[in-house]
Amino acid sequence: MASSTSVQAALAAHRFGLGEASLTTIQGDPQAWLLAQIGPADAARGEGLLTTPQALDLIRAEAEKRRLARNPPPGTTAEQVLANHYRETIVADTRSRLITAAATQRPFAERLQLFWANHFTVSLTKGGVRGLVGAFERDAIRPHIAGSFETLLRAASTHPAMLRYLDNNQSAGPHSRVVARLARRAQEMQEQPRITGLNENLAREILELHTLGADSGRGPEGPRGGYTQADVTSFAAVLTGWRPAGLEGGSGQPFDVAWHEPGRKTVLGKSYPEGPDALAQVLHDLAHHPSTARFLATKLARHFVADDPPPELVDALAKTYLRSDGQLAEVYRELLKSPLAWNPAPAKLKTPEEFVVSTVRLLGGADRIGERGEFAKLAAGIVAQGQRIHATPSPAGWPDRAEEWLGPEAVWKRIEWATRVADRAGRFVDARALASASLGPLLGDASQRQIERAADGPQALALLLMAPEFQRR
Amino acid sequence: MDKSFNPERRRLMRAALCAGATASWTTLSFAGNGAAAGANRFVMVVLRGGMDGLSAVPAIGDPDFAAARGALGQFASPALALDRMFALNPNLAQLHAMYARGELVVVHAVGLPYRERSHFDAQQVLESGGTRPYELTSGWLGRALGPGKGLALNTAVPLVLRGPGVIDTWAPSNLPDPSADLVARLERMYGNDAALATALARAKALHFDSTMMAAMGEAPAASSPRPGGNFALLAQRAAEFLSQTNGPQAAVLELGGWDSHANQSAPNGALATSLRTLDAGMAALRDGLVAGAAWKRSVVVVATEFGREVAINGTQGTDHGTGGAALVFGGAVKGGRVVADWPGLAKKDRFEGRDLRTTTDLRAVLKGVLADHLHVASRSLDGEVFPGSEAVRGIALLA
Repeated sequence: MASSTSVQAALAAHRFGLGEASLTTIQGDPQAWLLAQIGPADAARGEGLLTTPQALDLIRAEAEKRRLARNPPPGTTAEQVLANHYRETIVADTRSRLITAAATQRPFAERLQLFWANHFTVSLTKGGVRGLVGAFERDAIRPHIAGSFETLLRAASTHPAMLRYLDNNQSAGPHSRVVARLARRAQEMQEQPRITGLNENLAREILELHTLGADSGRGPEGPRGGYTQADVTSFAAVLTGWRPAGLEGGSGQPFDVAWHEPGRKTVLGKSYPEGPDALAQVLHDLAHHPSTARFLATKLARHFVADDPPPELVDALAKTYLRSDGQLAEVYRELLKSPLAWNPAPAKLKTPEEFVVSTVRLLGGADRIGERGEFAKLAAGIVAQGQRIHATPSPAGWPDRAEEWLGPEAVWKRIEWATRVADRAGRFVDARALASASLGPLLGDASQRQIERAADGPQALALLLMAPEFQRR
Repeated sequence: MDKSFNPERRRLMRAALCAGATASWTTLSFAGNGAAAGANRFVMVVLRGGMDGLSAVPAIGDPDFAAARGALGQFASPALALDRMFALNPNLAQLHAMYARGELVVVHAVGLPYRERSHFDAQQVLESGGTRPYELTSGWLGRALGPGKGLALNTAVPLVLRGPGVIDTWAPSNLPDPSADLVARLERMYGNDAALATALARAKALHFDSTMMAAMGEAPAASSPRPGGNFALLAQRAAEFLSQTNGPQAAVLELGGWDSHANQSAPNGALATSLRTLDAGMAALRDGLVAGAAWKRSVVVVATEFGREVAINGTQGTDHGTGGAALVFGGAVKGGRVVADWPGLAKKDRFEGRDLRTTTDLRAVLKGVLADHLHVASRSLDGEVFPGSEAVRGIALLA
């Protein structure tokens, strides 16, 4: 059992996956098990999931409900009209994310989907994104995680959820037809026009968070960036007109020329034409930029290997990225091939979501997440540990360094949650057998001794869940 | 705010009340550098997202204000005058009352040595105390305080508090504490994992002390929910911790949601809500410190990573800028005044023709407070706390 193959199997299951109750299926060839998972993410599981067009329909219907609530029909109150505002969709999306991760046979692909959904964060903290977050993951992220980064970038940047989350739906060319029209109307009504020009939010975050990296040139990702305020402003002009199709009185097309800034624009020293084609061209050039290669390589290596990943590994990933024209599958293969990614000492701490999902996988409880009470407990557990799924606090996504999750209170909350789970499940499982089956040779003497000497089943399971070997990966 | 999350917030509030009965500080040691310094209390409030300084503290007396700000210069009710030049946003009524009582200093045209416009880099500079992003990996307050004297009201540890030692954190919970027996076994299990072992030891000290459990149970402030939601509750809890004789010397509160790119003058929009939440939270903090007899010994600094562009953007909001406003208040503050070397709002006076120009370095504010209130030596302030800041002299803000 203690052969190097089984160390590799345990690392494959925990570092690159979401934890397994048993390593037997991986044992033969752990690397091949992972390589075979490279491809689009699984279709999302669960019920009540909306496609992007359906989510847009829902937003229209909810806007109609809001109008109705201003003058509620006789015998009803505004609260009744607005009851369960988006609630079903929000719950269905969160539940789907947990069920899919807990049940998947391709946990490496699912980790990549979680990674890219975090890279391209959209969040319910912005009201306008409600109803769209799950559809964004299913339509913009899941299909594209192993294709070219350019395709993924284009899908994410032009999805209604991103356009609304980072305000592009409201950004207009200062010389566009819409701005001229709004100015005329405002003058007639003697009030301020609602929209007069650019909103730079999306342009800046695509450059800083999604492609080149911040302009500081010396972030934790090393040299990167290389753009100016003028690039942000002219990229914002390129983005004008890209608005969620069919919402807010738009034209029904994803690109509305009435909002677009006329004329050519210069971004990073290159001139782009007026019109909808320029965005794809800018995104193409950003996707092929060396800063982007380096930024993405660092983030991937940090996510899977170490908070401060080995520079040689980052170099290798960035080189592969550029050589393959940003083919993500090639980058993942390079990662899995590198001995630097297989150091047996675990350097990363699971996020609260990963901890909860890996606990469900350990206990074989994926089927039960469909039950309402069960799901609510899991979601509340993740919130208590400091992470609310689909409600990331900022566009930068959830942090990916251990120290961010290692506050005393954060660790205490993990213990509280583990205790509660173990109180319910600990009588039905043998934590000692589970520890050895799941962690194999990674299970250290100190943890094994404490689990074996536990006072009872629930305490043994709580100790297993909180063991450093299960908390880290 | 997002309606769908209201039930959750209520749940958290209830949880906070329960947890209040079990938290404690007595087993932690807070050895000060002399009795006076050790008894003083400091709170840092980090506003994330870039608070628009000209909305929070409008320069109504500036001849270019009305033209530059357009609709953003008009408020639903009159702005609350500070002096002939400046006023507070009408949503900051309780802070305005502190100003009237001589407890609040408003600092304007204040900013960081960092002049770019990335939230994430700017927050890194604000919290690390460096001059460039990622030059330092710990926080100025953590370095100034030394181990074990700071508390974050959050599950995560904010960078500003990270330093040579461990940092305590506290957040409300609705789950029971684990048994002492389990915790003892976990401690034995964490022998080879220093990070987990340290976190567990600090959390245990905070949750498992019977003397303080009784004291906290009697804390009167923890009984009534108040406006400002979870933030006000955290502020109240911060005040209770700080008021204890052996409590932490400094606490950090964080409030997000300031990135007002659109519709920022809407009477019930995101910015108005954030300002009201801040106002209620700061009032709760004051009330708690007064109730705990710690107000006279307290200084609170409220700061954000950057201000926003002077002109309205195309969507009735403002894009990222540099200079902004900060607040300093407390029973130990000589307030009722505005500290600003006002650069003016005309286009030629703006930074890059765009932003309110930074004329006061935020580090001058922080250095003044750390030196005069927490008695941090000036050599230390110029050295490890704010490296490279020798030329930045602290501002005198205390009574």
